[in-house]
Amino acid sequence: MSSPVSRGAIIAALLKKELIAYSRDKLYLFLTVLTVVAVVSVFWLLPDSVEESITLAVSPPVQTMVEDARETLKAMGATDEQLAELDEADLTEGEEGIALVEFENAEQMAAVIEGTLEAYRTNEGALVFRDPGADEDKPKDAHRMNVDIGIAFPETFISDVAAKKDGVRVIIYSDAAVPEEIEGAMHSFVREMAYQFAGVALPVGMPDADEIVLGEDRVGNQVTMREKMRPMLAFMILLIETFSMSSLISLEVAQRTVTAVLVTPAKVADFLIAKTVFGTGLSLVQGTIVLALVGAFTPQNWSILLATLLVGAMMFTGVALFVGSAGKDFMGQLFYTMMFTIPLLIPSFSVLFPGSAAPWVKVIPSYPVLDTLVNTTMYGAGWDEAAGSLAYGLVWVVVLYGIGLFALKRKVESL
Amino acid sequence: MTVPAISVDGLRYSYGDLEAVKGVSFDVQPGEILGFLGPNGAGKSTTIKMLTGQLTPKGGSARILGVDVALDDPEVQAQIGVCFEEKNLYLQMTALENLEFFASLFGIRDVDAMEVLRRVGLADRARDRVGNFSKGMRQRMMISRAFINKPRVLFLDEPTDGLDPVTSAAIRTTIREEADRGAAVLLTTHDMFEADELSDRVAFINEGEIVALDTAESLKLKYGTRSVLVRLRDGNGVREEHLPLGGDGSSARLAELAGSPDLLTIHTEEATLEAIFIKLTGRGLEG
Repeated sequence: MSSPVSRGAIIAALLKKELIAYSRDKLYLFLTVLTVVAVVSVFWLLPDSVEESITLAVSPPVQTMVEDARETLKAMGATDEQLAELDEADLTEGEEGIALVEFENAEQMAAVIEGTLEAYRTNEGALVFRDPGADEDKPKDAHRMNVDIGIAFPETFISDVAAKKDGVRVIIYSDAAVPEEIEGAMHSFVREMAYQFAGVALPVGMPDADEIVLGEDRVGNQVTMREKMRPMLAFMILLIETFSMSSLISLEVAQRTVTAVLVTPAKVADFLIAKTVFGTGLSLVQGTIVLALVGAFTPQNWSILLATLLVGAMMFTGVALFVGSAGKDFMGQLFYTMMFTIPLLIPSFSVLFPGSAAPWVKVIPSYPVLDTLVNTTMYGAGWDEAAGSLAYGLVWVVVLYGIGLFALKRKVESL
Repeated sequence: MTVPAISVDGLRYSYGDLEAVKGVSFDVQPGEILGFLGPNGAGKSTTIKMLTGQLTPKGGSARILGVDVALDDPEVQAQIGVCFEEKNLYLQMTALENLEFFASLFGIRDVDAMEVLRRVGLADRARDRVGNFSKGMRQRMMISRAFINKPRVLFLDEPTDGLDPVTSAAIRTTIREEADRGAAVLLTTHDMFEADELSDRVAFINEGEIVALDTAESLKLKYGTRSVLVRLRDGNGVREEHLPLGGDGSSARLAELAGSPDLLTIHTEEATLEAIFIKLTGRGLEG
């Protein structure tokens, strides 16, 4: 016989049903497992180091220019002491983060920068070349040199500028991807060299410039692509779960099983609570698993990360409630999921690119969640820094939840 | 005095400007089956939705087991069983899981779901997913789900729709058993034979109004024509004669024809519920 049933018992029964329905749907299971495996794999496949030095190519080799300059400078009356200084000439002396590659001729250097020729440095230090179009093996015991920018000097560069000749022409070759700032720096570099070889000091008083790094000095310890992806991956999981969750809701509405539930002692509120708890729990658990598998948790940050994931999971469940009540079939579901989640994905791109996010990006509801994930996992932010952002995120949770619950309640009541 | 299991008085509902239910009134006593007949869009489903708490009435009142439906009382919801026309079952779950889930929503801890499935002939498919069931099997699942809480009030919307005659007969037997147990049954159906066989009383609803409410027998007596159809051999063909019962000279003519060597058959002609419905509303039940 039936006896008065508590709201808790009804919600527990609904949650059990959700779990069964979810576990029986091969598509959702496949999506869930695939997403977790894929994002964790992507994380561990990404490079865990950052190449901080710029490879600068020059032609001809420095020594060739020095040999040429020696005779000219001797003829110009240079002392033995001055000629000895010439022997010590090093283009990259004092330039932190610049690696020099010397090419015999400018054509070869240009081809390597263009990518039509590959340059390899052998373990013995020799430079060997390979034509990628020809059917030849890659050189053994050698690593490929990635050359993005190069300076083609005339062989008589040092002697010409020392003799203050006009019309000395230097060509800077750069890959299309090299930022304009680097090209500008190379121009300055060439001019400074010319001044030095000409024996003329720059017509300015050089100020002493001290570099003060604010925050954590990451020189030699740059944020790697892998680290940058860590918060983004957790975020991706939340997005995928939005689709699964909204599909479950949509199915319940389309098959009108919700109507059968609501003619029992279960109320609309019970149904909505169960959906909310299940959706949030599902996202939270998966987000936690992913963050654990990518090694994001530390004794200092675990509570912040869990709180952030909870806020994110609730936010995306709110979206799922709305999407689930709007989509009528799989394609409709996909459409609405994309329509609502792609804007929410925008803040995650701001992590991948340098500079701070644009003001309009900060208004997107998902920004505070991602901002907290980034600051916590990448820069070791604590509760004092995360609290404000999370509070802002909670405001968005209330708004999105409210919209989602209202939409689903209306939908359920209209069946 | 026995409180009606279902008591409806001047119940109204509108979808915007469209008045779907225009003040219907009826009672269903415990153990009684009331056949609710009407074409699509007549207001049957809207009435049931109001009685089961899915819609809030916009006028009049309705009581289930003496409690106003507007209160949406879980205690009352626990006493009703609903078989919807659409097969809204959880397809990913097995038959047993479906019934156990709904039993848990009713707070039933000691449910014998297998016995319920046995009643509708699905015990051997208890552990199969409902998604793999045929249309008829799903319909039987719908019936079993409506019975799971041993309800005191049953709302059955087209309960034998899509079933073969043998299964339909078995389902009708179980519905009668539920009524005999004391459940009040509100039955909507297009099947006049089913309504005639099962219903203690019949309500005709058309355009949101009840146009007739009585026992099937009374309706037939009131609105039908009682006559006898006599078929006689006529050369190479067949000739028919309709004799109104109680009509002047009918008895003598019937005796005469009964003795005729050309007599083939004699049938009593009874008005069908559908014919009465058409007579009352000017439209058929399928429309």
